[in-house]
Amino acid sequence: MTLPVAHALASRQDLPIPAWLFAWAASIVLIVSFFALSAAWRKPQFEDEHRRPLGARLSTALLSLPAQILCGAIGVFLLGVAVYAGLRGTEAPDRNFALTFLFVTCWLGFPFFSAIFGDLFRPFNPWRAIGRAAGGAFAKLAGQRPAHLAYPERLGRWPAAVGLLAFVWIEVVYGRTSIVSVDIEPHAVAVAALVYSVYTLAMMAVFGVEKWCDRGEAFSVYFGMFGRLGIFGARDGSLYRRRPFSAATSWATVPGSAAVVIASIAATSFDGAQDGAFKDPIESLFNWFTDRGMALTTGLRLTDTIFMLATFGAVAAVYMLGVRGMRTVPGAPSFKQLRTGFAHTLIPIALAYLVAHYFSFFVFQEQAQFGYLLSDPLGTGHTDLFGTVANEVDYKLLSANAIWYVQVAALVIGHVIGLMLAHDRALVYWPDYRKATASQYWMLAVMVAFTCFGLYLLSVANG
Amino acid sequence: MLPVAHVGHYLWVFYVIPILIVVGAILRNAIAQRRAGRDEAGESSTAGGGKITKRD
Repeated sequence: MTLPVAHALASRQDLPIPAWLFAWAASIVLIVSFFALSAAWRKPQFEDEHRRPLGARLSTALLSLPAQILCGAIGVFLLGVAVYAGLRGTEAPDRNFALTFLFVTCWLGFPFFSAIFGDLFRPFNPWRAIGRAAGGAFAKLAGQRPAHLAYPERLGRWPAAVGLLAFVWIEVVYGRTSIVSVDIEPHAVAVAALVYSVYTLAMMAVFGVEKWCDRGEAFSVYFGMFGRLGIFGARDGSLYRRRPFSAATSWATVPGSAAVVIASIAATSFDGAQDGAFKDPIESLFNWFTDRGMALTTGLRLTDTIFMLATFGAVAAVYMLGVRGMRTVPGAPSFKQLRTGFAHTLIPIALAYLVAHYFSFFVFQEQAQFGYLLSDPLGTGHTDLFGTVANEVDYKLLSANAIWYVQVAALVIGHVIGLMLAHDRALVYWPDYRKATASQYWMLAVMVAFTCFGLYLLSVANG
Repeated sequence: MLPVAHVGHYLWVFYVIPILIVVGAILRNAIAQRRAGRDEAGESSTAGGGKITKRD
């Protein structure tokens, strides 16, 4: 018998059990992990990074001035190629180097690899390289280091959070020209990159290169956040190995850090839900606006912007509810302290969402990046720099089921790590492990909520 | 025929169930603890009252 189902049940996957049962299984994994943590983990393990220096020669070579100049020059060169391709190349988004390089290779590649190896963006950051070179040149000419204004500490990382949302807005809101397609123009991306470069260099001139990179430069803050999960770090001119995830515990002490990680989760969620779970409500609001005489593009962008901000608000609300719940446990620190103190536990979740939503997209698009886009960056069809212009994307590389299992695994592992970091931090605030465990019931609820929400978004998007 | 044409629109309910179970368990636990605390406080005040009565 065939049931007359409209659409959503007819999934393209051929899973042995319904997708929602994976959410139940994932929740059980989280609950079991939670009780295992409370039974066996009674002292904080991640507050100390347990640094072990790497070999002196390797450290000196990798952090030497020529190596820094080389990495910076590579970053500036690649940004230049992307901007040039955007301005002069084809308007076909899939054939222009700029879009895949900025929105896939950098935007997804740096978080994925930084989460393993530590912050990889910092040495290649083109704006940092230009800012440092300009500062050095100024010092040589003027005979003194450039003077900077004191950064308003109350702003914290809020400029980075806003910049992050703005970047995603350009990609998924501004670039969406119809209710069914995302079609951002490479030219618009190149202009946005130039505008952002001017803004960033101006801010670096005002507040200092390193200060702005740590607080306001959206990409440095965003990629650096994932880098805190990785095993390598640099301090005082030497490289060291550290305990995985341990550097994350000190990341969120700056105001606005929670907003950055929440913005990351919200941006990924909104991108995944835009054509899936939110499709019907977006269409309804869009029709409401256009029925009242609003232009189609304006109506669509306004609708998407409202939903994107609402997603940010919803993710923030779930986290705040968890924090509010912890306040009820005797001996709890202030709400503000808890909000800051547990923000880093969301970093693995942000990474899990990123992997779950974009892993397959990354695998497919990187074939294009290192295939025809590398040989023909402008997409004109007239150049073949490396003889790879005929290489096409093999969409059979990953099956639908393989993608689904990677998505589920990413979400479960990310949330278990989040739970582990939260439990570890709770032991700092409540040295009595029973109270620490009681406080973490609420974070368990937050993690289960994010896991189920993530799986729901994926199941609808895959459906 | 079963009226299931748009049943797919309600699949989200299945994703909410685990969250409700966890939140329900937390609230139940919190209420039970609060009640136990109140009962303990009540017992100790009764014991204290007994002593006062004895002294009187």
